[in-house]
Amino acid sequence: MTITQAAHAAPAIDHHPLAGHAMTGAEAIVQVLADEGAGVLFGYSGGAILPVYDAVFRYNADHALPDGREPMPLIVPANEQGAGFMAAGYARASGKVGVAIVTSGPGATNMVTPIRDSMADSIPLVAICGQVPTTALGSDAFQEAPVSNIMGACAKHVFLVTDPAQLEATLRTAFEIARSGRPGPVVVDVPKNVQNATLHFDGASRLAIPGYRARLRAVESARLDDEACAAFFAALMQAQRPLIYAGGGVVAAEAAAALRAFADAFGLPVATTLMGLGAFDSTAPLALHMLGMHGTAYANYAVEDCDFVFALGARFDDRVAGVPDKFAPRAKFIAQIDIDPAEIGKVKAVDWQHVGPLGPALERLTAWGRARGLQPRLADWHAHVAQLKRRHAMDWDRANPLIQPQAVIAAINRHAQGRAIVSTGVGQHQMWAAQYFDFRAPRQWLTSGSMGTMGFGLPAAIGAQFARPDALVLDIDGDGSIRMNLGELETVTTYGLPIKVVLLNNRCDGMVRQWQKLFFKGRFAATDKTLHTKDFIRAAEADGFAWAKRLERNEELEATIADFLAFEGPAFLEVMIDPDAGVYPMVGPGSSYTQMITGEFIASRDATPVETTEIPPTSMF
Amino acid sequence: MKHTLSLLLQNESGALVRVAGLFAARHVNIDALTVAATHDPAVSQLTLVLHGDEGTLEQILRQLRKLVDVLDVSSLSLVGGHDGSRLAATPA
Ligand SMILES: Cc1ncc(C[n+]2csc(CCOP(=O)(O)OP(=O)(O)O)c2C)c(N)n1
Repeated sequence: MTITQAAHAAPAIDHHPLAGHAMTGAEAIVQVLADEGAGVLFGYSGGAILPVYDAVFRYNADHALPDGREPMPLIVPANEQGAGFMAAGYARASGKVGVAIVTSGPGATNMVTPIRDSMADSIPLVAICGQVPTTALGSDAFQEAPVSNIMGACAKHVFLVTDPAQLEATLRTAFEIARSGRPGPVVVDVPKNVQNATLHFDGASRLAIPGYRARLRAVESARLDDEACAAFFAALMQAQRPLIYAGGGVVAAEAAAALRAFADAFGLPVATTLMGLGAFDSTAPLALHMLGMHGTAYANYAVEDCDFVFALGARFDDRVAGVPDKFAPRAKFIAQIDIDPAEIGKVKAVDWQHVGPLGPALERLTAWGRARGLQPRLADWHAHVAQLKRRHAMDWDRANPLIQPQAVIAAINRHAQGRAIVSTGVGQHQMWAAQYFDFRAPRQWLTSGSMGTMGFGLPAAIGAQFARPDALVLDIDGDGSIRMNLGELETVTTYGLPIKVVLLNNRCDGMVRQWQKLFFKGRFAATDKTLHTKDFIRAAEADGFAWAKRLERNEELEATIADFLAFEGPAFLEVMIDPDAGVYPMVGPGSSYTQMITGEFIASRDATPVETTEIPPTSMF
Repeated sequence: MKHTLSLLLQNESGALVRVAGLFAARHVNIDALTVAATHDPAVSQLTLVLHGDEGTLEQILRQLRKLVDVLDVSSLSLVGGHDGSRLAATPA
């Protein structure tokens, strides 16, 4: 055993009732999962993980709740990718660490996409992978994959446990790393003989990770001093058009209340990123909804007009600041708070920065400004923003006889009233959902933001429903996206989850088609699905959906949606939408917000003609 | 511009791969690399040479500090100059 990995026994005061007990590695894993508060596990079995599955089975049998329920149910998907996204949906909806357990080789490689997706969106996960026995490692054994190499490139961290004496400490440390600092996924690769080995449980050990912990302590204890507050307010009080740009970091930091208090105290309008939806109540007077490539026109115009940007848990990524130099071109001052030092000034230089927890920083600023009676005079700016919201309101083709997807979301939103949990696939439907749903609180909006992974919606909704059994959980999906993990339809009914699946079927890969229309002269390579024969209603029925209907006529929209949402159990609604409906506004690749295309139904304020020619090959889709 | 980084790394399985992988994933070439034992068998010392502008260097330093097994990283070309070059993310 090396010095740095020595398992440090905890002080006797927090004595674990099982401390000193002999148990197998598999039993120790399950005990640590229980101790860490893992409420639901997601995974698919296989040879190399069997000891852990057996230990979960025995744990649940021995600790059954008074009503007979299992304390730590293990939910089985159709594919390990589904398990990973269920764990991610669970984590996103609850704020807790999601747990997935899979076998070696193909089980582990099927987890790569959800691990990378969670890394890119800073979602805390612990994934436990079975591995071939230590004696077989590196021998190209049956179902062996180099998990630590593969996952090392994708995850926040990966551990390969070869010494049973380290197992307990490693798993506990995995939870610590997943949830601390900027959250992320941690993979623990456990050879089968380590699962079967006997060890002495100590109930508290952790690995020494001195570098990580020292850096974390420095960041977490960072507080704004008077000088920093004074500098911030000196700039804010000079600003005439200040704006908050809030990202997913506000959600991760549980700082929505602190953000609301700050924005209300000083009157700053708030635009959120795709990941930040819900971080600020979208029905609040100061809310501008979403900014960026498909943000609202009024949010993007406000970004164009503002002279002060306050970035909170947001990273100026290319869907927001496609052209960093032209983002918020009139801003004289940019302030940024983030928990990750590497995000400060990464894309755009900032004038004021703070690396530390968002909640305490915002609370400090609010108290500091209040105590000094500081009140920016923003009446003109508020009037300007109100006018932008009125003049450039979101809208669509209301006269079209074909069903418009925006109308479907708006109708569902009238029932949900900003309280539903909404997951999505990736594509146009994802953007319409982001644009037309209200989100009154964080953790209601579950979407694959950074990776943009099709197939996320259905399994994420399943995980979310386990996290929030009483909530209305909606999966807004596309025909391409839902196909990717369609096997999970059956998982919904197997577990009797009252999820409402809305399939906006445009019989094509709509978002790609939109780009082909705009930038590839309408050459619809590989995106047309009109010859596909899938009957989604029969598929849903075959998977046990008692309510599965197709909506094809505008006149039936309101009544069908009311009936669909009122159904008690799992329900599947396919809506045949106008295949030519587009997502607008759109800030094209390489364009600035001034060149935003607002489409035919949202007023543009700029006459700058936009050339939609073939895009340069370097532009990202 | 050429930069020399000195890095103390916990001797964990896969730690060196993660350092090398970070450079590859962020498109920064490692011009030279030496790995040496230290008096602590659990810790290795890496010396890396790379070239790039100040922004590239700053980003690679910050990203290296996010790796769990990294104990300390400093840029020898910056030592004594720029206080962002030492361990730990200091608050503004
Ligand atoms: C796994 C994966 N493969 C490919 C893509 C590229 N892509 C982005 S959107 C899209 C089309 C999505 O089609 P659909 O789910 O039907 O949604 P729509 O845009 O029609 O609403 C594709 C192929 C992706 N984001 N994810």
